[in-house]
Amino acid sequence: MKIAPLTENERWLLSFYRTSEISGALFFGRLARSLQPGPIQVDLTKHFADESQHSWYWTRCLQTLGHEPIRLDSSYQDQYISAAGMPVNIMEVLGITLIFEKRVIGQYSIHRQVEDLNPEVKKTIDLIVEDEKWHIEWVTKALQSLEGEYGKEHIEKTLKKFHEADKEVYKKTVAEHEDRIKGILKYQK
Amino acid sequence: MLAAEKIKARMSQIISVKLEKFTDDAVLKDLVSDSFILIDMVIDLQSTFNVRLDQEDLVNVHTVGDLIKVIQSK
Repeated sequence: MKIAPLTENERWLLSFYRTSEISGALFFGRLARSLQPGPIQVDLTKHFADESQHSWYWTRCLQTLGHEPIRLDSSYQDQYISAAGMPVNIMEVLGITLIFEKRVIGQYSIHRQVEDLNPEVKKTIDLIVEDEKWHIEWVTKALQSLEGEYGKEHIEKTLKKFHEADKEVYKKTVAEHEDRIKGILKYQK
Repeated sequence: MLAAEKIKARMSQIISVKLEKFTDDAVLKDLVSDSFILIDMVIDLQSTFNVRLDQEDLVNVHTVGDLIKVIQSK
């Protein structure tokens, strides 16, 4: 079976994924240094390591397919702060992380359904999604562990606010880059 | 009450910006252009000084002085 070469739009999208993974890694890396010792510090440190690894996976994928990553100046997460406001405590950071990770896993799941998807891209998505499942699991448990301190209702209200912000950011991002990603959007349910 | 100079010193240390730049009217977004670094700084300050802040606390915080007052009020 002949595999079509990566189009420029596909190269852009994989570079966009790579940039977002790097952005996540840099942020969690700093936080891992700032947090007090405890289970959240441990899991956040692993999460940071995973995001770095994911950025490597995308770099490797692009190189395997004969391309260099495109340098992009902003990531998906950058827009969250404008839409949702700056998270200022660990509960808010974990809340926005949970919403973001659910968006990521959703996006990768859509992309994976593309007909005749390049096997190298499929393999990369599958590797990353395995980790993302654990990311959602540990962040969910961490938020539950913070209910005593922040209140269950307050956490739920915070998650709802961030979820609304994410919908706004996603809609705006899709509109901005529709031409590049319309091949994938048609698989969205 | 927590000394303002102690808070400034910690801020300077976290983001590696010279202490003399942390005047009370210095705008936070001018000192820390990357929002994620600013988030990290705010979280570190809470951890260092054992206070808790929420998004609502920072709605009217724009300067170093504003942030110090909010931390001191906790």
